[in-house]
Amino acid sequence: MRNFFFKALKATAKAIIFYVVYLFLWNILAPISQLVPGFQQMVETFVVVYITLMIIGDLASGTIFQYFFNVAKVLFVMGYLIISSGGGIFGITFENINLMVDLRFFFAIAMLLSLLGLGKSVLQAVNYMNEKAEYGRS
Amino acid sequence: MRVPIRMIGIATTFFWIFLIAFLVTAVYSTKDVAFNFGEPQMNTNASGEIVFSLPISVANRGFYDIGAFAIMTEVFDNHDASIVRGSTLVPVIKKNDEVTVVHNMTFDMNDLLQRSENFLFNDSELKIYAAVGMRIAEVIPVEASSNFSMPWGAPLYNFTLGDPAYAPYNLTHWRATVPLSFENHAFFDLIGNVQIQMYNDAGTLVGEGQTSVEAYANSSYSGFIELYVSIVEVTSSGWFEVYFSTSIFNYGPLVISYG
Repeated sequence: MRNFFFKALKATAKAIIFYVVYLFLWNILAPISQLVPGFQQMVETFVVVYITLMIIGDLASGTIFQYFFNVAKVLFVMGYLIISSGGGIFGITFENINLMVDLRFFFAIAMLLSLLGLGKSVLQAVNYMNEKAEYGRS
Repeated sequence: MRVPIRMIGIATTFFWIFLIAFLVTAVYSTKDVAFNFGEPQMNTNASGEIVFSLPISVANRGFYDIGAFAIMTEVFDNHDASIVRGSTLVPVIKKNDEVTVVHNMTFDMNDLLQRSENFLFNDSELKIYAAVGMRIAEVIPVEASSNFSMPWGAPLYNFTLGDPAYAPYNLTHWRATVPLSFENHAFFDLIGNVQIQMYNDAGTLVGEGQTSVEAYANSSYSGFIELYVSIVEVTSSGWFEVYFSTSIFNYGPLVISYG
């Protein structure tokens, strides 16, 4: 019970830090939400799901499920980037002006980093099972 | 295996922080980039071409350089056929730097008249596509584009020749006076010569004459052309062939019947 309490405390602290960072970044990006309809909702949905997966992953730490949630978190980031970005090119129309922002370069790097994170989670899961098997034998 | 995994984690976190910080600061710094569009000007150059000039000033007070700042404009007629296209490129605008460029578009009025003589005699609308592109922090391509229309004023709007009035000149010829009027709706002054050739109903050239015209932009012009015609060849009806020779364009013949 005490162990779970510390896990919950750690998860809450991480979530609060993550949310504070989000609020700080959002203050900088806020002007974009006035130009891009639905941008705020898109970012908020991402943050809510990401924090939820982060908390569940932390609560499940010390078990194999922690790595499942880590993989789920990485897959969610990749999926969200692919679906929400529409290929990395954002286009908006404001009155008679069409604005196009090409973020494909950034999304390519983000996808590579996500793949690296996915690989790390798989390696952690393999290592966890390996250590568990070794401790079980000894 | 724990150490390599930890190193992967540290490296991934570092790159994520770097990527997000760079993206956010790059987007944030765009608010410190100021664009000033000057008064557009239309002039004619030495070879009689029309030059459209738009001075643009870009002040980059952001965190990063701006790369490949480009302006592209294209003018279309009312059938969506391209008339003229112009582009201006500034390879790099350094941070804390201000650059002023003049975007020019040059077109020949004679080329325009080859498409349609309506540009000479009828007011119309020209469609303009304008695009401004740049690379924020030299890696994020951004492009803003717009379509709008611009009125085209005909330089010879409502061009008319009146019926010739005859007066005796000598035993073989009459002096014919032909009234001439039009409105110059164009943005440029029309300075040049108008030459007319008068044909009778049998198609015989009976006389020709010319006059110089000077019609300022957005003004009306009325005058007359004198020509000497053979008494025996002149008929009550026929046609005029009109030739225009100005500093901006040459055009003719414009056929106008009389009588």
